[in-house]
Amino acid sequence: MAANVPPPGAPRPNSNNFVPPPNYNPSAQRPPDYLAENLQNLNLNRPPSMPNSAPRPSPYGQPPPFPSSAPPPGVPVASPPFPRPGPPPGVLARPSMPLSGPSQATLPPGGAPLRPTGPPVGQPSPFVSRPPPGSLPSPMSGYVTPGCGPPSSGPFQSSSLLSGQVAQRPLQPGARPMPLSSPMIATGQFVPPSSGPGGLMSNGPPNFTSGAIPGAPRFPPIGNVQQPPLGPPQTAMSAMAPPRAPTMHSHLGGSVVSAPPGPPTQPASPFSAAPSPFSAPPQGMPPPPGSPYGSPSWPLQPGQVAPPPPIPGSAQPPRMFGMPPPPPNQSMTTISPAIGQTGAPVAGSTKIDPNQIPRPLPGSSVVLHETRQGNQANPPPPATSDYIVKDTGNCSPRYMRCTINQIPCTADLLTTSGMPLALLVQPFALPHPSEEPIQVVDFGESGPVRCSRCKGYINPFMKFIDQGRRFICNFCGFTDETPRDYHCNLGPDGRRRDADERPELCRGTVEFVATKEFMVRDPMPAVYFFLIDVSMNAIQTGATAAACSAINQVIADLPEGPLTIVGIATFDSTIHFYNLKRALQQPLMLIVPDVQDVYTPLQTDVLVPLSECRQHLELLLESIPTMFQNSKTAESAFGAAIKAAFLAMKTTGGKLLVFQSVLPSTGIGALSAREAEGRANISSGEKEAHKLLQPVDKTLKTMAIEFAEYQVCVDIFITTQSYVDIASISVVPRTTGGQVYYYYPFSALSDPAKLYNDLRWNVTRPQGFEAVMRVRCSQGIQVQEYCGNFCRRVPTDVDLPGIDCDKTIMVTLKHDDKLQDGSECAFQCALLYTTVYGQRRIRVTTLSLPCTSMLTNLFRSADLDTQFTCFLKQAANEIPSSPLLRVREQVTNLCINSLLSYRKFCATVSSSGQLILPEALKLLPLYTLALIKSTGLRTDGRIDDRSFWINYVSSLSTPLAVPLVYPRMVAIHDLDSKEDNDSIIPPVIPLSSEHVNEKGIYLLENGEDCFIYIGNSVDPDILRKLFGVNSTDEVSTQIVLQQYDNSLSKKLNDVVNEIRRQRCNYLRLKLCKKGDPSGMSFFSYMVEDQSQGGPSYVEFLVHIHRQIQVKMSS
Amino acid sequence: MAEFLDLENQDGVRMPWNVVPGTKQEATSCVVPVAAIYTPIKPFPNMPALPYSPLRCRTCRSVLNPFSIVDFAAKIWICPFCFQRNHFPPHYNSISDENLPAELFPQYTTIEYEEKTSSHSSFIPPVFIFVVDTCIIEEEMVFLKSALSQALDLLPDHSLVGLITFGTFVQVHELGFGQIAKTYVFKGSKDVSKDQLLEHMNFFLKKPKPPTGVIAGARDGLSAESIARFLLPASECEFALNSVLEELQKDPWPVPADQRATRCTSTALSIAASLLGACVPGSGARIMAFVGGPSTEGPGAIVSKSLSEPIRSHKDLDKDSAQHFHKAVKFYEGLAKQLVHQGHVLDLFACALDQVGIAELKVAIERTGGLVVLAESFGHSVFKDSLKRVFQSGDHDLGLSSNGIFEINCSKDIKIQGIIGPCASLEKKGPLVSDTVTGQGNTSAWKMCGLNKATSLCLIFENIKKEIPDTTVQSTSNQFYFQFLTYYQHQGGQMRLRVTTLSRRWVAGQGSMQDLIAGFDQEAAAVVMARLVSFKMETEAEFDPIRWLDKALIHICSRFGDYQKDTPSSFSLSPRFSIFPQFVFHLRRSQFVQVFNNSPDETAYFRMILDRENVANSVVMIQPSLISYSFHSGPEPALLDVAAIAADRILLLDSYFTVVIFHGSTIAQWRKAGYHNLPEHQAFSQLLQAPCDDADAIIKERFPVPRLVVCDQHGSQARFLLAKLNPSATYNNEAPIPGGDIIFTDDVSFEVFLDHLQRLAVQ
Repeated sequence: MAANVPPPGAPRPNSNNFVPPPNYNPSAQRPPDYLAENLQNLNLNRPPSMPNSAPRPSPYGQPPPFPSSAPPPGVPVASPPFPRPGPPPGVLARPSMPLSGPSQATLPPGGAPLRPTGPPVGQPSPFVSRPPPGSLPSPMSGYVTPGCGPPSSGPFQSSSLLSGQVAQRPLQPGARPMPLSSPMIATGQFVPPSSGPGGLMSNGPPNFTSGAIPGAPRFPPIGNVQQPPLGPPQTAMSAMAPPRAPTMHSHLGGSVVSAPPGPPTQPASPFSAAPSPFSAPPQGMPPPPGSPYGSPSWPLQPGQVAPPPPIPGSAQPPRMFGMPPPPPNQSMTTISPAIGQTGAPVAGSTKIDPNQIPRPLPGSSVVLHETRQGNQANPPPPATSDYIVKDTGNCSPRYMRCTINQIPCTADLLTTSGMPLALLVQPFALPHPSEEPIQVVDFGESGPVRCSRCKGYINPFMKFIDQGRRFICNFCGFTDETPRDYHCNLGPDGRRRDADERPELCRGTVEFVATKEFMVRDPMPAVYFFLIDVSMNAIQTGATAAACSAINQVIADLPEGPLTIVGIATFDSTIHFYNLKRALQQPLMLIVPDVQDVYTPLQTDVLVPLSECRQHLELLLESIPTMFQNSKTAESAFGAAIKAAFLAMKTTGGKLLVFQSVLPSTGIGALSAREAEGRANISSGEKEAHKLLQPVDKTLKTMAIEFAEYQVCVDIFITTQSYVDIASISVVPRTTGGQVYYYYPFSALSDPAKLYNDLRWNVTRPQGFEAVMRVRCSQGIQVQEYCGNFCRRVPTDVDLPGIDCDKTIMVTLKHDDKLQDGSECAFQCALLYTTVYGQRRIRVTTLSLPCTSMLTNLFRSADLDTQFTCFLKQAANEIPSSPLLRVREQVTNLCINSLLSYRKFCATVSSSGQLILPEALKLLPLYTLALIKSTGLRTDGRIDDRSFWINYVSSLSTPLAVPLVYPRMVAIHDLDSKEDNDSIIPPVIPLSSEHVNEKGIYLLENGEDCFIYIGNSVDPDILRKLFGVNSTDEVSTQIVLQQYDNSLSKKLNDVVNEIRRQRCNYLRLKLCKKGDPSGMSFFSYMVEDQSQGGPSYVEFLVHIHRQIQVKMSS
Repeated sequence: MAEFLDLENQDGVRMPWNVVPGTKQEATSCVVPVAAIYTPIKPFPNMPALPYSPLRCRTCRSVLNPFSIVDFAAKIWICPFCFQRNHFPPHYNSISDENLPAELFPQYTTIEYEEKTSSHSSFIPPVFIFVVDTCIIEEEMVFLKSALSQALDLLPDHSLVGLITFGTFVQVHELGFGQIAKTYVFKGSKDVSKDQLLEHMNFFLKKPKPPTGVIAGARDGLSAESIARFLLPASECEFALNSVLEELQKDPWPVPADQRATRCTSTALSIAASLLGACVPGSGARIMAFVGGPSTEGPGAIVSKSLSEPIRSHKDLDKDSAQHFHKAVKFYEGLAKQLVHQGHVLDLFACALDQVGIAELKVAIERTGGLVVLAESFGHSVFKDSLKRVFQSGDHDLGLSSNGIFEINCSKDIKIQGIIGPCASLEKKGPLVSDTVTGQGNTSAWKMCGLNKATSLCLIFENIKKEIPDTTVQSTSNQFYFQFLTYYQHQGGQMRLRVTTLSRRWVAGQGSMQDLIAGFDQEAAAVVMARLVSFKMETEAEFDPIRWLDKALIHICSRFGDYQKDTPSSFSLSPRFSIFPQFVFHLRRSQFVQVFNNSPDETAYFRMILDRENVANSVVMIQPSLISYSFHSGPEPALLDVAAIAADRILLLDSYFTVVIFHGSTIAQWRKAGYHNLPEHQAFSQLLQAPCDDADAIIKERFPVPRLVVCDQHGSQARFLLAKLNPSATYNNEAPIPGGDIIFTDDVSFEVFLDHLQRLAVQ
């Protein structure tokens, strides 16, 4: 596995020294029974020994040394050296080569954009999807695309075979390329299969299934499932009708696809208005003429598919992104024939084969991405994939990426496309360990060179003219004089001769040392103020003890600057500060009893340099839980406490870390249990349900704005058993660039470990203080809105009292003029901030993208992950202010609109019976569906859960957006059986209950929570190995994962730790069992299933398709 | 004179008129009001404490006394005040001519009843809550800390102690919390009500708060534990208290160079009062405030923080331009009311070069009977020794008592206008309450939250007897009776009732003059006039004290002097009156009247002491005593005149607040030459030592401890002496002066004053 990881170059010096913080992987390092002794992972997580030494992360959070390099492939110990969760260790994990083809049943994530290096045989699919320009012959490969990678077992596979995967052939029994593929939604770029057999095809799958795997275990090699399409369609036809439904079920699991059965079963579905396309067919009746989707549409499929049976790819011409736009019809990358009915009206039922519809598949290998090639912007790989960036002019997509990698020349074009235009900016994103660090440029006294008109910073796209004496700003077009000491002659190519030596002229991301001009005051030291709830409830649930212990351990991890300052306070119905001044024999507790009109009791000594109070602090933290153990104070003055803490920090600003356990019930900003009120008053509650997701009043907002003004960033750790009105509370972190952590229901057993790790990551991750951010765009485009966790006091800038590597800010853009086709449009994000070591810096990231007036180009260069992140954030913004139904509708419409636009203007196929998806957006429907079913958009969730979700989304980074709604599920009961797989994380399973076997154990994670589902009839031996128990009854839902002395357990720990590292999150572990609420919550993540929350994936596709048809015809 | 002292030694009473002008008109013409300076708990070695309850008159509630007419046969006594006939209760059955209860012994006109300590359980030990200013420089802080920790050592072990410190904020230290030093911090700018305090401090956390009304300690359900959080027996909290004191730091909030420190004295005191009110209402408790500068924050601020605004002067007060003054006074009046209601005392130890706001605080200190000490520094002996005296036991203890209630009964023709002194009116109306109010009036009962054995009240009476037609009748009933009842918590904790019953003859009409003159106590009169003039200066707008005093003096002189009309040289005064003009002369020049040399704080301080001291000490304040020491004679009183200064003499001046030892220039030279260290000059050494010993004796007995100044003739410190001397020799004199010293003043000398007086008196 290590193979491709370490980049060829010599190891980066710091990669070894680097010991990033949170050690997520405790268990791996410990003797097996260590865990047993320490139930709490807490201890485990302390980096007991850091093999690799240097405990401190580089300021910018260089990723830890490459784990992979160390461990031998087979050894499960991936993590130990990396205490930090951050970096994408995934890299290692992913096999560069698709080894076990067949076993990866899931569909690949539509051709991961790989660089078109010569397509090695071994990696057929990825490359295939985008054959190099010249390789026309490869069209075949294009075909393959859909089935991504390796082993696509589905119909697509067949195509891949053509492209040369001979090896795999054996696996696929009857895979015949073309014909087979037709049934599915072809994600590939070719026009599908709709050809002749089309109709049949569509039916195929089911039949196939029925035939091929009658009662077969669903799981085993999931691959099997997908193979079916081969089946002789015709037979299927005959078999069809009634019988078919059952077969489907057998395959997919009862609930999954309810569509197939006759109409009667359907009515309830959202599509019921019109007869479901599926429903009709089974009857064998032609659809009623009147139905919008009427038969006409379906029948088309068989023969009418416009494009000639593109068999070996009527050659999707090369689809390199950088390439000139292909002819329109070629750009139509996707057609889903799925819905089509058999040619013959007879065959009523058309089916979509659930196994063939597009699904995400993690990229299997690390990609090397150069941000620009040949002086052209290079479209970035998907945010969720694993890649190493080489900054060749544009910034790394980690820092800033655009929803579309070409900028529409006009607003109309953008509107037509139905796609959003926005940037997702994550200025402190963690780089891949193999990437070069950002270079720091010091211009000395004079400060960085800037455009004198728009103040844009010097960047590789500023054009030097007149022998280098002047330069043209790529934002405002103004011509500036080159400062004399910055002058340099131009070379023959018109570039400055020193361009390659100067990072600011050849890198998309650089950091400038800020001069006095950028400082209102001297940069402040890093200040950390801990505020702990000690009300009765917090004490009794162990939340206080957990918080104190976490802080106590984290003190050692605080940035060690000489000036790092800490303070601590506790609160119940009063606020208790502590004078930590060293001269005192013991800390002095200072109680502020007036929670209506708070103040800070001391000017200086509540915030003390860490070096002077370490002992006091440790002592104090140890004694706090006992000090209050007899407290009978149930009230909590949260608002007053943060206000008081703020007053203490007012002069310096800094981070305020609050540990809150109950609903703030007294003092300023006291809240009421409106959730209960809402419940009691259901009639009005229903109508106004979303009001509960809004802050109850402006008190906290006003406070938060004041906090932001004084550069105080608030993070809140909510360790509770009850409603705390996150909607109101979260305003504070959101406005101050902070974050909410939510532990509900708090468990003193399992949560302290996560609390500690969260806290540790919070203080050790790359971050900055007192930051101001502004995005500049080239003329023609302007910033419409910023969206994220910040405070905005002037229209152009956002104030970020704190900013860290996990925070992303969405910047929506709008046209204010036309752009020149063929020109480039640049975006520059400048972030002025103070490092944890008290240095003032400006991080400048610049991205220059080509402009286009071709719609097809837009679709081709659409960035799905980014677009979806936008949708997600926009939906989250909407939830508190609109009724849920409307939000869902909006979300669906956004999806429909872009697909419609594509269908209308780009697809060559005119048959309305096909659902055609642009290749780049082929997963959009799935994600949209997942979004609709997500916590935030579900009605059945707790108010706080939804509020938290909304809040979580607001600063969510692009790579984590998709997993949030479409979690990753893997089987963990058979980890042992895949010895030779060099990926730590087992293959991903689609989120459908059909794939959940009661004999299995599954792990599902969304970047925040991690559910382990234990089937009903799991082999007790496995249970014993993994959890040390004999039956599921013995496991409680709150678990602490321990490592037992067996390879299965070790592997599970490895998997979990690997995931933690990938997600930069310790993940709350929860055990789920069938037949109890935990099981229900697990299954609520099976987004492809039909459920109360929405249709199944197939149904949803049908719905979308129908909507498009309606709109097309209207 | 001596007979007045005897009377004082029997009853603790001095009256200007020991023979009372018999009618209203006559009393008015006597100028000096019928009054009494009474020291309620003056210790009398021979006075018995009766272990039973007093017998009271059925109607007027006065107590059986030697002036009651007793019918032994009928077992009946007649109340001298209301003439009610009362039966003796059964346990007095054995009463007879031969077998009198002590309260009927003629010599026991003053006697004490000691309540049976039936309910010993309810005994609450004395409570001290220290309120300490932290806005002081480090050096002062060191002094203060050491003084406090010394004081703590002196505290009785069982007494309860609390600690509040203040600066920008008020910190209430929870001494009873073992695990960590813990304090409640209150904002200095915001006054906290008692209810808020109860809530903020979680006093009623586990129980419902009593609905309304006074919340009174344990009785209202406040648990002993919650009280013990803040008030602990000295023996238990010694460690905690000392460690807090040790760690006590200067107020950490920065003070800009152009500003005063933020000091919230008033809020701190208010919180202390509320805390005591919550924890130990009704039992003797003292708030001892240690203040090192002006209050600049909160409702009792006396000046703004900006240094550009000077602290109010007498001039500002006269012009009514002291913007903070009235607000602050009003606040402290409220505080006084609260404290009186709770029965608690406010003591103030003000140590600063600048004013701290005593003028505003006066009302609260005086009404609660608190102690007040003003010094320049916490390191000064005036402060240090005074503080020690407070807790000292033994001969010179202050005899601090608490929770006193003072009541008056008197004959029906006498009404009570009020009391000038450390007490608060209880607003108990009755037939003997005069409509005219002087001092704390409108009542026949007063609260004395704090009192000690020296506390002296000035009672002002009014004679309302109409003209008597038959002036010649000197019936046997020409007696006025006064009865003073003082119910108080003795140092030891028990409650005691002291009863003093007086009888004074009244005279009226022609020929009464000689009787009046014979009964005139000029010292007491001077003291009453001094208290009156101080009181009037503070309460009457546009009051001209000099004019008022002069008029009074002239009036008295013309009424009681011997002279031929319009012949000044014929003027003479009886010995009973002879020094009265001199008292008035010095009173006119004293700090009580001549305020412009003093700050309002000092004036307030002097007057508070004047208002609580007995006659002897008050006289010293008005007219300092001067003793001369020389080789020629033993120590002898010298005339308070610049002429008393001589090069070969040592003078000892006692002006009450200051004791000056003044070495004549020759003496000073000898001393500098070190003669007193030579064996052959032992006599000189003794001469030097004599005034020091006398000064020590004075200092030991006095509270507040006076400032001792040792100075030489022509030295700068000599001003302490010169300021008090009669300026018989000034730079205006032409003739050379024997003592060789002159006083640079334009003030008239006593001779000139007397000349004018004689001239005016005879007109």
